[in-house]
Amino acid sequence: MKKYLSILASAIVGLLIIFYTGSCKKIKYVESTTTDLNIYGYIKANPTKYSSITAIVDKSGYAGFLNAYGSYTMFVPTDSAVSIYLTEVNKTLSSLTEKEAQDIVKFHLLEDTLPTNTFKDGKLPTITMYGQYLVTGVVNDKGVSTILVNRQGTITAANIKTGNGLIHQIDKVLKPASKSVAELISADTRFSIFKQALQATGYYDTINTINSTVPGLRRWFTVIAETNQALADSGITSFAALKARYNNTGNPLNPLDSLNIYIKYHILPDTKYLADIVSASSHTTLAPLEVLASKLDDVKVLLNDLDFNGVHEKGVELERSTSDLSATTGVLHTALAHFAPKVRLPTAVYWDVADFPEVRKLPAVFRRGNFSFAYGAIKDITWDRTTNTMDYAYTTSSSINVYWGDYLSVPMGNTTRHNWIEFTTPIIIKGRYKVWVCYRAAKGSGTVGLPGGSNMPVQPSFDGVDLSRQFNFCEQRPNLTDGELEALGWKKYSPSTTQFMTGKFLGIIDVPTTDRHKFRLRSLPAAGTGNPSDFLDMVHFIPINQNQYLPRFNTDGSLQYF
Amino acid sequence: MFRKTILKLLAVVLLLPVVSCKKWLDLQPQDGLTGAEYWKTKEQVQAAVTGIYASLTGSATGSRNAAETFFLWGELRADMITSTLATTNEQVDVINVNILPTNSISNWRGIYETINYCNTVIDFAPGVLAKDATFTQAALNKAIAEAKAIRALMYFYLVRTFDQVPLKITSTSSDKDIVSLPKSSQDTVLAQVLRDLNDAETNAVTDYGDRASNKGRITKATINAIQADVYLWQEKYTECVAACDKVINTNSFGLISGTDANTWYQTLYVNGNSNESLFELQFDNQALNTFYGLFNTTQKKFLASPIVMDEIYTVDFTDPLKFDIRADGAAVRSTDQLIWKYMGLSNTTSRAAVESYAHWIMYRYADVLLMKAEAQNQLGNGQEALNIITQIRNRARALIATAANPAPTDKIAIADYILRERAREFAFEGKRWYDILRNARRNNYQRLDLLLDMIAGTVPANRQQSAIAKFKDKNCHYLPIYTYELTTNKALVQNPFYK
Repeated sequence: MKKYLSILASAIVGLLIIFYTGSCKKIKYVESTTTDLNIYGYIKANPTKYSSITAIVDKSGYAGFLNAYGSYTMFVPTDSAVSIYLTEVNKTLSSLTEKEAQDIVKFHLLEDTLPTNTFKDGKLPTITMYGQYLVTGVVNDKGVSTILVNRQGTITAANIKTGNGLIHQIDKVLKPASKSVAELISADTRFSIFKQALQATGYYDTINTINSTVPGLRRWFTVIAETNQALADSGITSFAALKARYNNTGNPLNPLDSLNIYIKYHILPDTKYLADIVSASSHTTLAPLEVLASKLDDVKVLLNDLDFNGVHEKGVELERSTSDLSATTGVLHTALAHFAPKVRLPTAVYWDVADFPEVRKLPAVFRRGNFSFAYGAIKDITWDRTTNTMDYAYTTSSSINVYWGDYLSVPMGNTTRHNWIEFTTPIIIKGRYKVWVCYRAAKGSGTVGLPGGSNMPVQPSFDGVDLSRQFNFCEQRPNLTDGELEALGWKKYSPSTTQFMTGKFLGIIDVPTTDRHKFRLRSLPAAGTGNPSDFLDMVHFIPINQNQYLPRFNTDGSLQYF
Repeated sequence: MFRKTILKLLAVVLLLPVVSCKKWLDLQPQDGLTGAEYWKTKEQVQAAVTGIYASLTGSATGSRNAAETFFLWGELRADMITSTLATTNEQVDVINVNILPTNSISNWRGIYETINYCNTVIDFAPGVLAKDATFTQAALNKAIAEAKAIRALMYFYLVRTFDQVPLKITSTSSDKDIVSLPKSSQDTVLAQVLRDLNDAETNAVTDYGDRASNKGRITKATINAIQADVYLWQEKYTECVAACDKVINTNSFGLISGTDANTWYQTLYVNGNSNESLFELQFDNQALNTFYGLFNTTQKKFLASPIVMDEIYTVDFTDPLKFDIRADGAAVRSTDQLIWKYMGLSNTTSRAAVESYAHWIMYRYADVLLMKAEAQNQLGNGQEALNIITQIRNRARALIATAANPAPTDKIAIADYILRERAREFAFEGKRWYDILRNARRNNYQRLDLLLDMIAGTVPANRQQSAIAKFKDKNCHYLPIYTYELTTNKALVQNPFYK
């Protein structure tokens, strides 16, 4: 027994020794889920390149959140970049104040992860924490292309992944714009006339002051300034001449004054860099209901380059090298020619809905045959059922006297047919118009002109507003004189005497802007299964003070003015 | 007695594992052959060569097949396709000149797999001579010629796509063969390509005896066509003309008649292996191509760009009977811009998903003719180049709107005309980007404007200026090395534009 006890005792002692010595060694527990460095950790870990910016981050007091969870993009200037900057501003790392350090960091930091493949020409989609957008572009120097940020520094190492975001290394410190748009204009002698016009109309201050520091309330402006040369090309050599041409009320501060409107037409709300301008086809301006049309022609940015009723109006080019200038209140572009809102008189638009670019590309079909366009195949016509087609049709039938012999066969109704069809109209000049729909009446079952049978009432709308009258594809016009017809809201739009060829008055619209608009046909609920073939031929927008029933549209494409 | 029985039994039981031990130690796989067991008969050599071709139509490891790779590399950065809503981000990034090294389209793995199959044949087939008495030296030479030609073709694609690539010309068949190879210069690789092609030319077959093999396997004519292409790329025009003439002088190829547009389309593209063709990847109902998903489903990734009909082929608005047979119903379906070349069973009827096995044409006679025209023009024989263009255009009934009348001495205008004609002739055949790049880089990037004009029209308006500026850097014309390759091969250095 004693023997056993001694064995047991020595075993316990042995075990204790093992335990004791074992625990002497400190076990290293992994406390983090990843060893990836965060942005701050990364720059701190690379002191050979980033020691200066690390010091600036330390001073700003932002090291904490740059080392915490989040998704950021930081443009990190190298040490040489920082030293160039410090020499420029005549400071040293130690003499930078906390506020200055904060501003530097904030201007290099975005609250989003933006790899370089998301960069476009112009501003980054996210604003810096400083409150100004950064502009990016690509420059080619001696055959080598690099990404230039804010026209100041190039990216020398991109898309470095860290735990809480991306780092792009840059070779210069980025400096925020310090001037307002107005100050940029007055600093450039090329804009002296434009500047005087801004001052005279009171808009100089609008684009000079930061109107609010509250994010979300702050309003930015995009100004398209005309150079003196651009004005001189149009015969305006001084502010006096400009004033003489436009100032019609005598008081440029009057919002209705033409000079005032001229200036407002050059200011767009919001920051729109050239890349934003070419991404949309029209832009609202401060001038009420006046839009600027824009397009990219090869590599040129053109404003108001339009085709009006077959006449091409040459556009105004924006000079790329002197545009996209960031300022504290927005962005400045330079126009190479003079432009002003055009006074256009409302002109009738006789819109042949069966004539659109996609069908013109099919010479075997266009005014020759039938074709069903799949959903999405026509840029300017869309409809509700993606499985339905848009049927272009051509006919030589003597009883179907549609313009050019072609029409859109648009069966509408509630079952498998179109519930609605939406068209983008041609450009309509702003003004007051009467709207007419022109179709060939037909009935799937029953006889046109008699009650019963198919029935297809349709509610038209313009820019989302229902027109005052509905129409019915199964309804034909009465047989009356032109004057009587017009009084009742009908017209004979085709020279053909058949009553099937029907023009119906839909209502009066106020076209707010000279632009392309949306015209929609909606089949009315509870209208039954509808009509299997509706012959939609034309839509007319005719200024209210013009003749509403002439010209008439012949099946061979000719117009008849009697 | 009882105990004795137990002992005996025990002895038997103890013996059992000893006997089977031997088998346990034999580690031959049950379901395959090892290298040491292979390479013994001429049939195995033949199977290995067939495997090279099979690797082009579908990878055993799931890499992208060669036809799709060549389509992506040859068309994405050019101007004839456009993206849809279903186009992947990676594909859009390539179109927008925003390629990052993480973009898997720059993954060259499938191509190197094929190269390794070629290397394996070149390394191991000679050993079979000693083991199979019925395997002749001539048969061996033929097999190696095929392997070398395909290896050359693959490297030719790689250098045109990546500029510099690792040149691996020995097989990787065991762990000890895995080496970290650095990149070789384009000149070094092209020298090896030409060496391989010249070796192969001597021993290559001119006629296998059946049409499918003649069009689906490497023949002497194919080797000459690749040589012409390489010489053209290297701006060695005399050699290029000579190589083209070798193909032309065989008198075994011709242009398929374009009298009937539908017959022409079906002969050349639907049925494939036509008299015009030199080398095609032989997709069939067991090896479908991957184009159906790319071009034809609701999730289609690419459509033909509007410029294909508007500017490249154009339309005669006055007379529907006048049309370029290569346009509507051949290259595209103009009503919905579908890429029709691989999708049609005729001008109008579409393939079903299970019928998506249109061949991928690597080289055809029209290509040889136009390569010759390009070289002749550079050599100062402009009239001869113009004659060839006329021949190609007449066959296709090209429209008058796309005709040009450059002076026979005007090299630049004729080169541009050939480039435009090649766009019409080889629409969506994976050649467009390489054609533009070859023309742009000629005479030390004399025609960089070709690339700049092209890219101005293909990228979205809000990226145009960046894209143009990027394209001014010629390193941007080559793809980056895929990140995975950089991490596994430490000897590789990323291409300059993508560092």
